Amino acid sequence: MANGSLTHTFSDGIMPETGDILMFLLTVAWLLPLAGFVVEVYWLCFSHRLNKGAAYVAVACIGIGFLCSLTALLYWGNATKWAALSEPEHHAHSASHDAGHAEAGHGEAGHEHEAHAVDADEHSHSPPPAPAKKYFSGTYYELARFSGLRVSLDWYIDSLTLVMFTMVTFIATCIHIFAIGYMHDELTEEYEDHEVHLHNGGHFSRPGRFHRFFAYLSLFSFSMLGIVLSGNIFQVFIFWELVGLSSYLLIGFYIERKSASTAANKAFIMNRVGDFGFLIGMMILWTSFGTFQFGDRTEGDHTQAGLFTMVRGQDGKLDVSEDGKEVYLQDAYGHRAERNGKPLSISYMLLVAAGLGVFAGSIGKSAQFPLQTWLPDAMEGPTPVSALVHSATMVAAGVYLAARFYPVFTPEVLLGIAYIGCITLFIAATIALVVTDIKRVLAYSTISQLGYMMLAIGVAGWGAALFHLVTHAFFKSLMFLCSGSVIAGCHHVQDMSRMGGLRHKMKITAYTMLVGVIAIAGLAIPGTSIGLSGFYSKDAIVASALAYSELNPGHILLFIAPLVTAGITSFYMFRLWFLTFAGTPRDAHVYEHCHENPSVMTTPLLVLAVLAAGCAWGGEGGPLYRLIADSELVPATARVASTGAAKVILPSHQGHESDVHHVHSTAGMLALISAIIGMTLAYLLYVKKTIDPNQIRQQFSGVYDFLVDKWRFDSLYDAMFVAPVHIVSAWCVSFDKGVLDPILHSAASLTVLTSKWDRAFDETFVDGLVNLVGTVTYNVGNSLKVIQTGRLRQYVMWIAVGVIVLFGALFTTIPK
Amino acid sequence: MGDVGLNAYLMVGAVLFVCGVVCMATKRNGIGVLMGVELVLNGANVNFVAFSRYTSLGLDGQTIALFVIVLAAAEAAVALAIALNFYNNHLTIDVDRGNELQG
Amino acid sequence: MSPETLLTCIVFLPAVWAIPLVLFDAKAKEAMRYWGVLGTALTFALTLQLLMQFDSNKSGMQFKFDTPWIANWNVFFSLGVDGISLPLVVLTGFVCLLSMLASWSIEKNFKGYLMLFLILETGMMGVFLSLDFFLFYVFWEVMLLPMYFLIGIWGGPRREYAAIKFFLYTLAGSVLMLIAMLMFYFNSDRSFDLLELARIAGGTSAGKSHVYGMSMQVAAFIMLFIGFAIKLPSFPFHTWLPDAHVEAPTPISMILAGVLLKMGGYGIIRIAFPLCPYGAQYAAYFLAALGVFSIIYGAFAAMAQTDFKRLVAYSSVSHMGYVLLGIAVWKIVDGKTVGREYWEMGLNAAMFQMIAHGISSTGMFFMVGVLYDRVHHRDINKFGGIAQLMPHYAGLAAVIFFAGLGLPGLCGFVGEVFSVLACWNFSPLLAIVAASGVILTAGYILWTMQRVYLGPEYKGPHPEALVEMNSRELAIGYTLVATAILFGVLPHLLFDPMHGSIQALTQSLASSYETLYGAIHTSQLP
Repeated sequence: MANGSLTHTFSDGIMPETGDILMFLLTVAWLLPLAGFVVEVYWLCFSHRLNKGAAYVAVACIGIGFLCSLTALLYWGNATKWAALSEPEHHAHSASHDAGHAEAGHGEAGHEHEAHAVDADEHSHSPPPAPAKKYFSGTYYELARFSGLRVSLDWYIDSLTLVMFTMVTFIATCIHIFAIGYMHDELTEEYEDHEVHLHNGGHFSRPGRFHRFFAYLSLFSFSMLGIVLSGNIFQVFIFWELVGLSSYLLIGFYIERKSASTAANKAFIMNRVGDFGFLIGMMILWTSFGTFQFGDRTEGDHTQAGLFTMVRGQDGKLDVSEDGKEVYLQDAYGHRAERNGKPLSISYMLLVAAGLGVFAGSIGKSAQFPLQTWLPDAMEGPTPVSALVHSATMVAAGVYLAARFYPVFTPEVLLGIAYIGCITLFIAATIALVVTDIKRVLAYSTISQLGYMMLAIGVAGWGAALFHLVTHAFFKSLMFLCSGSVIAGCHHVQDMSRMGGLRHKMKITAYTMLVGVIAIAGLAIPGTSIGLSGFYSKDAIVASALAYSELNPGHILLFIAPLVTAGITSFYMFRLWFLTFAGTPRDAHVYEHCHENPSVMTTPLLVLAVLAAGCAWGGEGGPLYRLIADSELVPATARVASTGAAKVILPSHQGHESDVHHVHSTAGMLALISAIIGMTLAYLLYVKKTIDPNQIRQQFSGVYDFLVDKWRFDSLYDAMFVAPVHIVSAWCVSFDKGVLDPILHSAASLTVLTSKWDRAFDETFVDGLVNLVGTVTYNVGNSLKVIQTGRLRQYVMWIAVGVIVLFGALFTTIPK
Repeated sequence: MGDVGLNAYLMVGAVLFVCGVVCMATKRNGIGVLMGVELVLNGANVNFVAFSRYTSLGLDGQTIALFVIVLAAAEAAVALAIALNFYNNHLTIDVDRGNELQG
Repeated sequence: MSPETLLTCIVFLPAVWAIPLVLFDAKAKEAMRYWGVLGTALTFALTLQLLMQFDSNKSGMQFKFDTPWIANWNVFFSLGVDGISLPLVVLTGFVCLLSMLASWSIEKNFKGYLMLFLILETGMMGVFLSLDFFLFYVFWEVMLLPMYFLIGIWGGPRREYAAIKFFLYTLAGSVLMLIAMLMFYFNSDRSFDLLELARIAGGTSAGKSHVYGMSMQVAAFIMLFIGFAIKLPSFPFHTWLPDAHVEAPTPISMILAGVLLKMGGYGIIRIAFPLCPYGAQYAAYFLAALGVFSIIYGAFAAMAQTDFKRLVAYSSVSHMGYVLLGIAVWKIVDGKTVGREYWEMGLNAAMFQMIAHGISSTGMFFMVGVLYDRVHHRDINKFGGIAQLMPHYAGLAAVIFFAGLGLPGLCGFVGEVFSVLACWNFSPLLAIVAASGVILTAGYILWTMQRVYLGPEYKGPHPEALVEMNSRELAIGYTLVATAILFGVLPHLLFDPMHGSIQALTQSLASSYETLYGAIHTSQLP
């Protein structure tokens, strides 16, 4: 079949040089931070503690990484003649066409057209031609091979990989630079930590750890890029854990603070809870599919289908059996896969379970309900960490994974994802209403926005989710850096109730922050569709949700919740800005000592502000969205009706009769109204003071306390999991001490008892018998000695008597 | 010379023997005991010789009688030495005084 | 060097090395230490030489040779190495060298310590290399006695208790093994040859058509399994381990965790499974369930410990559970092995986990020992702030503990995750329970690290003694960390030599079982 040669050309085997070059560039970008990490960890071997060199090394590594990624993106665009940016109606076709030109050379192009024609005939669905392979993949090296099974380190590059690489390296570079300024006070031999109290009441002081901070950041960058570059789910899991480790190290950067190390543990363990599900998902996939690979792989003249091809085939549809209980797997040539003459299949429920399992990993990493509680605590880390790890990149990795794994998700899984996202975005937004710690507001806002992304994936708004992921990364990292700038300017004051009026002193911070706030609130000029980045991406999500709930009226909540939360988001973000920067200073002391930061910190803010405002330029017709949407493996040009347990219809959002397109303007309008209401409310409460927030707080004290307690999740988990674990572990120990050891001990004492009895037997019975013989003999002798008088004459008498008796006996007994 | 027969000799031997035994049992004097022993031996000698004469043993009885006489002489010598020693130790030869062998 | 000489040298060099110690003056501790290090280093070099000569493309025994030993009883001095024993032999050499380097703090009667140590090494090497059941048994016992004295004389305050407990447990196991050994001996025309016994079990022995009966296989397997499970150790035979570890001096703990526990797993793979395929399959679910239970149980028990060494000991129970799980995932449907490659993966994972645990738990005990040498207590709640006082040490310890936690990129990850992945094919339920171990493991290790290494200040006695590691300790620490990273990043280095042998093992076991199953169904067997 011609598709075989197509796969061969595009994904593996003798790599076309485009793939090789992309792989080389991205690998360099990926491994440089690792090299940086090694250098920075041993920085004190080269230089002294007060040297900023470690930071420069880190910035250089990630900066070069950014340049490599950008080059790769441009090179890719050039090689495909930017086909991805053209109109979506044609792009699937033309992209493959051009890609064919670029990679396969002239000879292959015509051949490929034939392939499409054949496919179209075979599957008689006229609109979707078999999507061409839009990715490059290959193997770095094999980790293990067990007969037919193999586990390897692979790479998988498509436009999404390139966009993520560019975005991550760019934001990371900005944040690294910012951190040089922010972590400045670590450049000392005596760093005094006022939050740590010693037993003797003194303050804790330690040598600064400037280099170590950058080492951890580099380790994180390496792991994060590893996730994005991964070509199989196992490799994703590897780097998944490694970002978890970096996050652990960075949250617990102030190791002397109990709160920090506890938060670090919490983050790691909660992520592991998610990973537990991830692991189960991987087990199912591994056992049912026998491979972890995303893309197809050619070895010799045989092409082994990857996960996506196996599930979705060439046309992006699930091949479900008549009764809906089995899903047939596809091979790389467009047929049902077979083994030993029997078609390979996986039970539908198992596929659902696998999807939910992998998504559980995303829940942990992206702090979704019910594992959301670690992220606010993770704010114990230094602010650049919060900006990079806990808003822009690592937590978004959960969304990235869910998006990457989209082809394997069945509609039931998507429905679950949608509801998880929906619950999360609402819960987090409500908690953000009452928090006064500036970083925690942002943390809850991050959780809420991640919920939006998950919701979007769940309602088949694949492109919208990733679109929001990128825009969110820009504006949220911007806002975190701004809050970091505020914190640094106010000498580590984080409580908003002690701030106010800071815009007079920190102009750049205040206005770049305002850009971020407007972006996240999704404000636009009413009547036009001109807004900042968040407007477009949130619009896309709300539109997808509306289209979904129109098709599935039972799931109307999936539209209402994000709509309402858009208003809440706008409210709490403006509340944050007003409390911090507007009005009059509430704490004179803080205000007095507050100052704007040096340019090493403000420049990244300005750069990020520009991108936060403009990265989504053009909305869903703009370049960013098109680039992302080019990677979509499951064509969303037609509605998909689920045949499984949950009867849902996934809306189409491409093509002429796009469901999403119909409702787009309505959804955008509603979301904008909601956001404006939220902003106005915030203005009335915190600037105009028309309504006193304290009064509302007293009015609804029950709700307020509930929100301040974060919906009481922490205490619930404490009671549900932490305490039982301790109890069970105490049981285990007491089982060892109280049951197993006593059994052993009683066996031992039984043995000792037996031997004691044995000894007693020996001593009384056996010895007694021997002694008895002796005693009796002795006693007999003793009693006989009486007749031994020593008198000679008596003896003679005895002899005589004896003789007589003998003779007498002789004569009486012997017969005559 | 009329033949008195074996029984007469045996009677004499028995009388001698009983006299000897009675002598040994009753005499407290060590020398007396010795004399009793001699009587017993001689009683036995009479028997030997008599059996030798009246049965077909040849000269065996006489030979053994001679042995007994020699033995008696040796015994008398040793016994007298014992008696002297006994006297040395006890200043008497009353055998009832020598009860050191009492058990 | 000819293979025969090489193998014999690996086994006996340490014991021979102990003889000249008689001539040393009892006070010349330094000289004896270097002598010991030299001996273990030479042995390690020989094992590396063996590794170089080993051909990892072959699947069978290599360098096998037999010399009659007790000819009347058919006992041979028979040594050989394949992909299953080779990694363990190298590991033994490696761990012994490191523990010898860690023996600097032993003061009491060093000469005796050293002699017993070297004899112990001979015993361990012999167990891994011998191919004759009788010889195996002899080496098994040879290793037992020095261990008893090493714990009983150089141990902590409750050393007698711990030593006797260890001795009795192991002895009980070896008695069962002895019975099983004799069962096979008399059922096989008096052979102790492990390979021949395995061939008979598989029905592929030339000239011997009979295979062992079913009930005999089950009985023999149970006895062998209990014997090896005590060493592994698996729940409920594990209670000797915490006591032995807590009382043993640091280097002996390192050997105990690093090598001795592996003998249990090795014995199951080398003896229990090939000799009784039916028995093994009969008990497979029980074995896997026991493994999973050990994982969870050990993790829970570790969480409640306050003694640092006891905690690490329980973590060993948990980690060795993965070994048992990986070995046992042999799924049979209607006499046919289903998903043999997943079982092969499980066995590979079990072997990998043994090596990885040999590195990580050796490292953990060493790290605990470093602290104990300084402050002479092990109460976790009385530590804290070590990372401030000994940053270099804390960094290395963190890597080692993360290796124990199963972090990707370090050796602990591969074995754990592969054995769990292989398990789904066998039993989804067990796989899920086993996978939940990742949460508990993270829990107890992170909590321990928080209490010991993090925090502002040290809370226990002798704070002045907490000085950074010296160069000898750093060398040990870095070696362990480097190995942990090496096998974590390039696991195929370890899988490559094992792969062929394990593939052959699973294939032959699968076909043995099929033969036996066929025989049962045509009623050729009682």
